Amino acid sequence: MSDASGIIRGRELRGDLKLDVDAVVVGTGAGGSVALRELARAGLRVIALEEGGHHTPADFTQREDQMLPMLFQDGGGRTTRDLAIRILQGRGVGGSTVHNTNLCKRTPDAILELWRQRYGVSGCGPTDLRAAFESIERDLSVSEIPAAMRNANNDVLRLGTQALGWRGGQLKHNRVGCIGSGFCELGCAYDAKRNALKVVVPQATAAGATVYSDVEVTRVLYKQGRASGVQAIARAANGEPVAWLDVRAKVVVLAASAIGSASLAIRSALPDPFAQLGRNLRLHPGAVVAGRFERTINGASGVPQSYECTEHLDYEEGSDKRVWIVPAFAHPIGTASTLPGFGARHMKAMRAYGNLAVLSAMVHDETSGRVEVGPGERPLVTYDMTTADRVQLAKGLVACARILFAAGATEVTIAAIPPITLRSAAELDGLSTAFVRPHGLPITAVHPMGSMRMGDDPRASVVSSTGEHHFVRGLFVSDGSLFPTSLGGPPQISIYAFAQHLSPHMIARARA
Amino acid sequence: MNFSAPKGLRTVGRRRVLLGVGGVLLAAGGLVGAVRTGGYDLGPAHPGALRSLSAWQFVVVQALARRIAAADDPNDESIPSADAVDVAGFVDAYVAEMHPLMRLDLVRLLSFIEHLAPLGVRAASRFTKLDGATQDAVLSWLESNDQGLLRGGFAAVKSLVFMGYYRDPRTWKILGYAGPLVGRPVGGWQ
Ligand SMILES: Cc1cc2nc3c(=O)[nH]c(=O)nc-3n(C[C@H](O)[C@H](O)[C@H](O)COP(=O)(O)OP(=O)(O)OC[C@H]3O[C@@H](n4cnc5c(N)ncnc54)[C@H](O)[C@@H]3O)c2cc1C
Ligand code: SF4
Repeated sequence: MSDASGIIRGRELRGDLKLDVDAVVVGTGAGGSVALRELARAGLRVIALEEGGHHTPADFTQREDQMLPMLFQDGGGRTTRDLAIRILQGRGVGGSTVHNTNLCKRTPDAILELWRQRYGVSGCGPTDLRAAFESIERDLSVSEIPAAMRNANNDVLRLGTQALGWRGGQLKHNRVGCIGSGFCELGCAYDAKRNALKVVVPQATAAGATVYSDVEVTRVLYKQGRASGVQAIARAANGEPVAWLDVRAKVVVLAASAIGSASLAIRSALPDPFAQLGRNLRLHPGAVVAGRFERTINGASGVPQSYECTEHLDYEEGSDKRVWIVPAFAHPIGTASTLPGFGARHMKAMRAYGNLAVLSAMVHDETSGRVEVGPGERPLVTYDMTTADRVQLAKGLVACARILFAAGATEVTIAAIPPITLRSAAELDGLSTAFVRPHGLPITAVHPMGSMRMGDDPRASVVSSTGEHHFVRGLFVSDGSLFPTSLGGPPQISIYAFAQHLSPHMIARARA
Repeated sequence: MNFSAPKGLRTVGRRRVLLGVGGVLLAAGGLVGAVRTGGYDLGPAHPGALRSLSAWQFVVVQALARRIAAADDPNDESIPSADAVDVAGFVDAYVAEMHPLMRLDLVRLLSFIEHLAPLGVRAASRFTKLDGATQDAVLSWLESNDQGLLRGGFAAVKSLVFMGYYRDPRTWKILGYAGPLVGRPVGGWQ
């Protein structure tokens, strides 16, 4: 039942379990893995329950049709309630860190300062967090991506950014031994990702933690304002329940992601007197622009993202510069689903696959989305993009198009419905951006945040600045749900670091 | 052991979810029971061996796949057809693993496409009985529909079809895509 890694496969459980531990962690992604490790290192009896499976590099076949159902929530089909935005999130030991593209950026100081001043977050300034950032970056071997690893798609971004005199630069990552296969978003068959699956969960189990995979937590239990445990179901591969788990614990850590944690909290009817739970969700939504080049780009090969353009990104609230631009090349199925149209014209467009460079504009969003619980107790996400955010997305897409032309694209297509095809940058000047509306173009979100945000004021937040629920002692949040605003960039390092930084509070509560 | 829902659990009902996004599928959903389910021929490849779709659903998916993954050069025999790579068979197997509620939504959508969507282009026939050009007109109508739910539904069907089509190595040469590297010797950075 338990393999060499010390992880127990819930699907192989026979018979119900009653467990009594000091702490239970829900989810084993960026936030959950670190909380688990720190609690175990403190000598506490701690378990993690993870609804997805436990996969190893040998399982990663580099095939989209096999990896999407295996590694992603809802087989990659999770969307907002109006079906306008696709939300990609991980499912399995290691969470979304298993299939992410390994970019590592610390929370910008300006954002931490904003959280302190405007959102009442205390004890989480740049100096407070420095040790946590340094330690997680050491664990995950974070380093700058060497220029030699920049593939042609990323080089298009660099060339265009530099030709326009815009701000940009090489990114950092958490890979060691990467051979540049380009299949990061389908899991790394070469075990080159220094992520939660490879590094942090094994550190946790080595320190005495137990992880159960295939176990979905269905309720958080609390009594008289104190967390008392969780109820969970172990499922077979076909989703059928095979065992029920009743876990008693003084500390419960929610780390099921910005959508999973809030929906579980709502399912558990946690106290929410100021109607904060599930609110303020940020998605960091993005859309893509493709440039056609005479030269071969072969964007599916090599490290997918190594360069960024930050010309249109600052972190002021309400700023008119809230767009982060990075490459976004996909494998055939992802590309076919994103390119507008169907049939013969679509196939014609697909034939240019090897000559396409694709860029994505992601909005540092201020739209306040919401997580609720829908039919079948499944998460339901509502997100009506504000006009200001739509304007930002439009600006971002136009900026992507300018970069592609500046780098030598002969034709640029904005993946709107119907597609907008341009032959020169001059055509961008008169471009109507009315297509940026729900369903006007495929929008994808890979960085959900917020929904149980932190802060000292219980009327404006769900958990305190220590990560503990305002009204349920011993219940902590340790994932992307915590953040009061979008980060404007890739969140994993912030999530790992916040989990590390807040873990002493969990430990103290479990020892109390 | 068995667990019950806690007091005060707030969920959004299925009806409100569907109405909230336009109610179109709710109407279509009502049709599911009324759909004529006879007279759909599965063809020789799938003699009753379906995992999740019924015969009529399979035939609708097959018709959708033929149009969505239609070749840009019908005379080029090197391009495998949607039938040759068995897109509908793939969708049948894929849908079998889906959450039952997602499966139900898909069935509603298929019912809508088969029976109501043709009316959007003034065609008074089932989708599967239309000629290719009219089927394309129906799909374009769905793709650019004012009802976000229909656009989103079309995008979902399109993704499923392309997953079924471009999963097959025979289609990769259309793109010049080399396919997975696992198991092959590769050089690279260390
Ligand atoms: C395609 C893609 C590329 C990305 N690239 C980057 C990148 O380059 N850099 C970056 O910083 N970020 C990237 N991200 C985002 C990053 O991976 C996530 O923001 C981060 O992993 C979120 O951490 P988390 O702890 O909040 O949740 P997750 O890592 O998503 O972990 C949550 C876990 O909880 C489990 N869970 C959910 N509900 C339950 C339940 N009820 N019971 C038990 N378990 C449950 C889930 O199965 C999951 O394993 C990417 C994401 C995607 C999808
Ligand atoms: S590019 Fe590197 S990290 Fe990504 S899958 Fe390939 S070897 Fe692994």
